[in-house]
Amino acid sequence: MENAWIIPLFPLLSFLFLIFFGKRLKGASAYIGILLSLASFVYSLLVLFERFSSPTHKAEAVWLTIGDIQLTAGFEVNQLNALMLVIVSLVSFLVHTYSKGYMHGDDRFHVYYAYLGLFTFAMLGLVLSPNLLQTYIFWELVGLGSFLLIGFYFYKEEAKKAAKKAFIMTRIGDVGLLIGMILLFWQVGSFEYDEIFAAVAAGSISTTMITLTAILIFVGAVGKSGQFPLHTWLPDAMEGPTPVSALIHAATMVAAGVYLVAALFPLFTASETALMTVATIGAITAIFAASIGLVQTDIKRVLAYSTVSQLGYMMLALGSAGYVAGVFHLMTHAFFKALLFLAAGSVIHAVHTQDIEKMGGLWKKLRVTGPLFLIGTLAISGVPLFSGFFSKDEILIAAWAHGNTVLFWLAVIAAFFTAFYMFRLFFMVFSGESRSDMSHVKESPGVMTIPMVILGILAVVAGYVNTPWFGTYLGDWLTEGNAALGHGHIEGPSWIMIVATVVSLLGIFLAWLIYCKRSLSRDWLGAKTMYNILYNKYYIDEFYELTVVKVMKFFSLFLHYIETFLVEGLVKGVSAAVSGLGRLGSKFHDGQVQRYGTVAFVGLAILIVVFAVTGGYLK
Amino acid sequence: MTLSGEFLAFLSLAVVSVMGGVLLLNLTKVVHVIVALVFTFISIAGIFVLLSAEFLAVAQILLYSGAITIIMLFGIMLTRHDDTSETKAGGLRKVLLFLGVLGFAFSVYIGIYNLDFGQVPNTLHENNTEQIGMALFSKYIIPFELTSVLLLAALIGAIILAKKDDEKGAEKE
Amino acid sequence: MSSVPISAYLALALILFCIGLYGALTKRNTVIVLISIELMLNAVNINLVAFSKYGAVPAITGQIFALFAMTVAAAEASVGLAILIALYRNRKTVNIDEMNSMKN
Repeated sequence: MENAWIIPLFPLLSFLFLIFFGKRLKGASAYIGILLSLASFVYSLLVLFERFSSPTHKAEAVWLTIGDIQLTAGFEVNQLNALMLVIVSLVSFLVHTYSKGYMHGDDRFHVYYAYLGLFTFAMLGLVLSPNLLQTYIFWELVGLGSFLLIGFYFYKEEAKKAAKKAFIMTRIGDVGLLIGMILLFWQVGSFEYDEIFAAVAAGSISTTMITLTAILIFVGAVGKSGQFPLHTWLPDAMEGPTPVSALIHAATMVAAGVYLVAALFPLFTASETALMTVATIGAITAIFAASIGLVQTDIKRVLAYSTVSQLGYMMLALGSAGYVAGVFHLMTHAFFKALLFLAAGSVIHAVHTQDIEKMGGLWKKLRVTGPLFLIGTLAISGVPLFSGFFSKDEILIAAWAHGNTVLFWLAVIAAFFTAFYMFRLFFMVFSGESRSDMSHVKESPGVMTIPMVILGILAVVAGYVNTPWFGTYLGDWLTEGNAALGHGHIEGPSWIMIVATVVSLLGIFLAWLIYCKRSLSRDWLGAKTMYNILYNKYYIDEFYELTVVKVMKFFSLFLHYIETFLVEGLVKGVSAAVSGLGRLGSKFHDGQVQRYGTVAFVGLAILIVVFAVTGGYLK
Repeated sequence: MTLSGEFLAFLSLAVVSVMGGVLLLNLTKVVHVIVALVFTFISIAGIFVLLSAEFLAVAQILLYSGAITIIMLFGIMLTRHDDTSETKAGGLRKVLLFLGVLGFAFSVYIGIYNLDFGQVPNTLHENNTEQIGMALFSKYIIPFELTSVLLLAALIGAIILAKKDDEKGAEKE
Repeated sequence: MSSVPISAYLALALILFCIGLYGALTKRNTVIVLISIELMLNAVNINLVAFSKYGAVPAITGQIFALFAMTVAAAEASVGLAILIALYRNRKTVNIDEMNSMKN
């Protein structure tokens, strides 16, 4: 465990190597990426197993000394970090493998793998950081990696826009995080998580300040994890290659926000207001995104909104003091969402379209992808015995136990929506008759299906590490030796589990009626307006366009004119004055030695006279 | 200030040298300028004698009045010397320069006119040449040798510069 | 002892120096400019020798320094004249205000 710092170095090595030598390697660059990410995964696994038996390891070295303050850099392996390491490196490894098939033949194959390496490095570094400052550095690196990957097809206008949008939207959150971080530093005098928690526990920070910093840090998480109202970048981020979407959505980018809140959990629990904010935003996001997901027709967009919605769930869990529930759901979600994205990528790879209206009847064609997609759908819908069921159940219990009745019911409705739209997606893609020419459709190669199979198995079994029936190993382990994180398992009434099951089955049944059996009209929403509102995602983008963007544009136009006329005029004036002076001066430089001598000597004489007169030598 | 013989000698030598300098500035024919220069150089040699530097006085006459004057004459002869030499540069520059020179002279004069270190007895006038020789070949031997290198460099440089095509370097020291 | 104060010698050197300076900066013929420079050097030599006799610490060093200065001046004069001749051969002029080809 002392050598855990080496884990992020593998992908970094991959990045550097591929950036410098990738051009010559071409196709072989995939093997380097895969091999190095496998190395970091194996190492993470070792660290995780070691963590089971030994205490938290933390190593730090002084990085900067400013006055009396010492900034340190290092790494820390606690339960959460070890778990995250495994999740991130596993998903990254699988995505690396999968991409070899998916990105086959791309001109910038090696660049893609280099970016994947950078992205993985950033996320692993983020997970290992023992202090806020280091976290922030890697946090921004994650943002950079996502920017590069989303904009990978930079020649596509939408991809370029999406990359910019992702970067700018998350930046908005990052400003909040930065301010919160600085406030914390001002209050505590340290970026160290341990010292911050100690200060919070000792009560040396006022409650108002805790609330303020917690909410500001949460703003950063909102940006990164695509929570309402900064969620709009996440669906647009679908412009990147599909494996990247899997990576971003399952394990890295968006998980960073949840991870941050989880890592700073003691800070949040110290303030009821902050917790309430987190829970409310989470619940709103969950139901809000789920309702949008009901009507989207792009396979990846549906998944994107489901991600936003599931992240809302995690935030709701954390906000309801359900630390274990949030982290648990983060883990199971990582598996089944990565599975869903990879399966969707496999579908897209086969049919070359993302519009589910044009798909259908793929079940017979894609004999491997289809069942795997079904597993993922069942898991996310919370069907009993699948991993999503257990984690979602934990969240609902946490919300109920914390007394957030309204939020609880919101979450239940969101669960219903989730089941409905996920099966809508499944039925439209796989069942019925194909709605366009599908004769060329072939199953994806093994290099793509094998990672999906692994994820499929995990999506089924990952839930069993923390169940009310067989024991709450994960929860007990996560909270072991740290009372601030709450109990490993929160008891709740048993009807919650039944309600959750019924709700999700109801959603599936409804979807089956409409999209498979077609015994109900598809215009089930009745009012066209409602459909339009949902289809256009509540017009959030348009709203931003109208308010923020317009205002900014006007403002920037204004600044543009100031720039053109005022600043540039000033600059031009100065430069013109200087060059005029220079031209005048160059007239003196006519090569006349005597003129040079005269000017120099007269200058000297003037100096001497001035010196003699003012120096008091004249008596 | 008593009117001693030394003072008279200094006065006459100073007058001659300054006269030479002024003529140097005002004569138009280049050869006449050289003659004025010789007068100045010789009177400066006299000043050196007054300052108990006999060896330097002899060197002054040999080097300046002799060698350098001859070089200058060569220079004049080998180039065009019928040109009456006045710059076409405007009077403004001359006036400016004159004022500058005047200011400079004035300021420096303020600094020196009251200068007096008092009389320290010295033996410079006894065996002056011997003293110079002793110092030159013991304490200052390295600068002395370096000077010879410098002169060699100047000699070769002058030859190469002036040689060019068919003409031989006529002037060298 | 001496009836001629040091300031008299220094003043004489100053006058000669100023004459040389003025000549060096106004004369058009390069030969005369060189001559003026020699005059300036001589004025400096007077200073050196005067301080060697009437300075705060009289010593032979001043005279030796003057000797070196003379040597260097001689070298300078010879090289200067050589440059002048080379220039004259190329440009057919000795006027200093036409020697500005180093400009640009």
